[in-house]
Amino acid sequence: MGNKQTIFTDEQLDAYQDCTFFTRKEILRLHGRYHELAPHLVPMDYTNDPDCKLPLALIVNMPELKENPFCSRIVESFSEDGFGNLSFNEFVDMFSVLSEMAPRELKAIYAFKIYDFNVDNYLCKEDLEKTLNRLTKEELTPEEVQLVCEKAIEEADLDGDSKLSYADFENMITRAPDFLSTFHIRI
Amino acid sequence: MEEHNSVNFMRLLSEESTLSALSSDSCEYYQTEIFDQLPSIQASRPEQDRQGLWEACEAHQGGPESGERISHGHLSRGPKDKAFTQPLRSLVMCLQGKRDARYRRKMQISNIDFWESWRRSQSINRKRVWAQMGGALSDLLPWQHTLHTIEGRFGVGVKAYFVFLRYLVYLNLLHCALVWAFILGPTTFYGRSNSSEPLKFGGKDSVLDFFHGSGYLDRSPLFFGFYTRGSLNLLCLNTPLLYLAGMLIILFLSLILVVRRTTVGFKHTWMLGKRYSMYVSYKIFCGWDFTIQDPAAASLKHCFIRNDLKLFLEEESFSVREALRTLGERVRLYLLRFVLNLIVLSLLGGAFYLIYFATITAQKESGHYWLVSLVLQYLPPITITFVNLLLPHMFRKISSFEDYSFTMQVNATLVRSIFLKLASLGIYLFFIFTTEHRQYPFHCRENRFGREMYKLCIFNFLATFCNVFLLNYPRKLLQEKYPSSLLARLLGKQRFLIPFKVLDLVYSQTVSWVGVYYCPLLPLIGAVTLMATFYIQKFTVLRCCVAEQRMFRGSSSSVLFHFMLLLGLLMAATTLGFNLYQLEATPDQNMSSCGPFGNGETVFNVTGVCVNSLPRPAQTTLRYLASEAFALPLILAEILILTSYVSRGRANQKAIERLKDMLVMSSSDKRFLVKQHATMLRRGRKPHRVCSAAIEEDAPPQTLEAPPALQAY
Repeated sequence: MGNKQTIFTDEQLDAYQDCTFFTRKEILRLHGRYHELAPHLVPMDYTNDPDCKLPLALIVNMPELKENPFCSRIVESFSEDGFGNLSFNEFVDMFSVLSEMAPRELKAIYAFKIYDFNVDNYLCKEDLEKTLNRLTKEELTPEEVQLVCEKAIEEADLDGDSKLSYADFENMITRAPDFLSTFHIRI
Repeated sequence: MEEHNSVNFMRLLSEESTLSALSSDSCEYYQTEIFDQLPSIQASRPEQDRQGLWEACEAHQGGPESGERISHGHLSRGPKDKAFTQPLRSLVMCLQGKRDARYRRKMQISNIDFWESWRRSQSINRKRVWAQMGGALSDLLPWQHTLHTIEGRFGVGVKAYFVFLRYLVYLNLLHCALVWAFILGPTTFYGRSNSSEPLKFGGKDSVLDFFHGSGYLDRSPLFFGFYTRGSLNLLCLNTPLLYLAGMLIILFLSLILVVRRTTVGFKHTWMLGKRYSMYVSYKIFCGWDFTIQDPAAASLKHCFIRNDLKLFLEEESFSVREALRTLGERVRLYLLRFVLNLIVLSLLGGAFYLIYFATITAQKESGHYWLVSLVLQYLPPITITFVNLLLPHMFRKISSFEDYSFTMQVNATLVRSIFLKLASLGIYLFFIFTTEHRQYPFHCRENRFGREMYKLCIFNFLATFCNVFLLNYPRKLLQEKYPSSLLARLLGKQRFLIPFKVLDLVYSQTVSWVGVYYCPLLPLIGAVTLMATFYIQKFTVLRCCVAEQRMFRGSSSSVLFHFMLLLGLLMAATTLGFNLYQLEATPDQNMSSCGPFGNGETVFNVTGVCVNSLPRPAQTTLRYLASEAFALPLILAEILILTSYVSRGRANQKAIERLKDMLVMSSSDKRFLVKQHATMLRRGRKPHRVCSAAIEEDAPPQTLEAPPALQAY
């Protein structure tokens, strides 16, 4: 279109467009959002791929993530170091996977990562209990939490090891009618 | 590596504690090296590679060499073409990994021939264009922004109601298009017969005609009587035949669309059925709506989820209680339920008698003051609406005494209300049919019938309008200004009761279907009133109501509503068929003097004339298709096919059960063997420290990986 933007090279924008579910305009808008989180840290010129990471505390203050009980887990599962520090690439990746156009399989993989609190590739009872407590803001009694978690594992566990592996989780989530409509963030 | 750490640790413990540590199902099982070597674990990695989805981030992080190894494995295998057309965006890699993959693909493209690369870039461009078109189309859908706002504030259930409303608007617009194509169009272009009355506003016409449906409207294109046979008079292409064809196509298309929508919802419910009940897992993993940004909406969602889980726990404890009922309690409960059902039946009977009484009274009207005659004319719709407003609340009260679980209560009330609504309409139609033709034998029956349906439609809309602006809004104002007054406290806060609102929608659609044959412009009226209803209900929801605390179970009730739509359609088809059959059965008494089938013609005459004009083979075929000799074998064949599907389904179910058991068994076999192996390894190392070297040589290949630390002993 001939817009004189100097943040990215055309080659970089093409790469972003191919590797994510966003268009060029949306990538530039995302960069604007990333920049306004920390205007002094984030450079305006990304043509030479600067190495800039924003901490978890800044990212979870975004209005899209603030009210989400899993905000810290979401950011941690997209960060390479596991502590929630996101570079711009990871930032774009996160919103791309969570956008409406991402396919179900991709979302299921990341949903599994998000709910896996102890990052052991299995959803064990403790993971479920933590999920439940975050969902209900700890308003259920511990016995109720136990009951619900046991029932959930009983329903979804196919290979009988009282943990949910990725296969169990995927099998359960593909049958869920509203997974796609709830698991997305609009930015 | 972890193994020899634990071996170092184990050596300091006694025999018993070693054994007890092994017998517990600890994480150790997953960290053993033999577990990593198991074929199933190995298979899950390259298999996912082949599909292109699991080009794992771990592999990338583990170093560029491992990533390259996997991708080189890609390049050397056949299915790489599919992997290349797998969109980059769907790969599970960090963005840098995707960019590297993109770079590799580009390099690959430069190594292959021209046509291949051209085809690939074309497919990429095509995908982009499709994506853009899809995005533009979804932006064009009307009311998207409103639905988004409503979803944010009230949840998915209320949004589903509005989505259903929009679907009905589309359906009605489709009907309008069909009516125009088959009925209005030919009449506009080819004119009507010379003996039809002109369409002018004069004489005894008045504005009240718009409410009565008589006078000016009687002669207008609104009703059946307008469409007489005009200049389009071929044997097989004339106005009556087109009229009939249009109506049949409308009903048939509606059938296909509604069945399609029902089966989509039904598949979900069937899979959520008893054996595959996934309610709780869905609630936990799909419970939170990630689009919520408003703190009020977020706390509302937390409330929803908490209440939903409490409901689930309640139902669990209810089923436990139910199982513990003694015989005496059961007998008393069944007796109570029997009595309550009798009360429900008597209420229904009373309602039907009221409707009959109203129908009779309405026919007696003669020369009153205009307002009184208007009210009398509208007495049947008023009665039906009143009955449909009052009785469902009474059913709700009654079902709370029957000691069912909460979902069962809601479903029981819904089923009773559905029956009430459909049956009241059916009874009304029946009374019109049976009491009418004695009064006006040669009057235009179809117009009269269409008039009743028109009045029902208009009154429905007026009732909705008045309900909102005369009841809901003042109630809300009262709540706001005088929240501590007695009336406000008695009435409580208003909630948007989704099931009853959806019932109203389905009822109005049923009226539209029943009346379309006698009043072809009814879909247009329906579409306009539905659009107005959208805005009215939007006002109700956003201004007058407080969010419902109990979550509306979307999937299972929506099947119920689509099923009710189907029943309504069936009722419309039955009414039409019955009417036509009556015409055929007693032709002299029911000679209609209006519309496309006036002048002594009937539907069967007109179609008979057309069939006779076709060539002989076509005639024989058509006659055969319409006869019993075809219908019976068809029904038999359908029964056979259905039976085979059902039995296949049952066999699959049994196979699934067996496979599940096998899966559990193999998994526990695997764990047992891994533990045994780990035990043997440890026992093999502990007492024979001195001869460890000897054991090493004799050891099977799996233990070649035995930690080098042992070799130092």
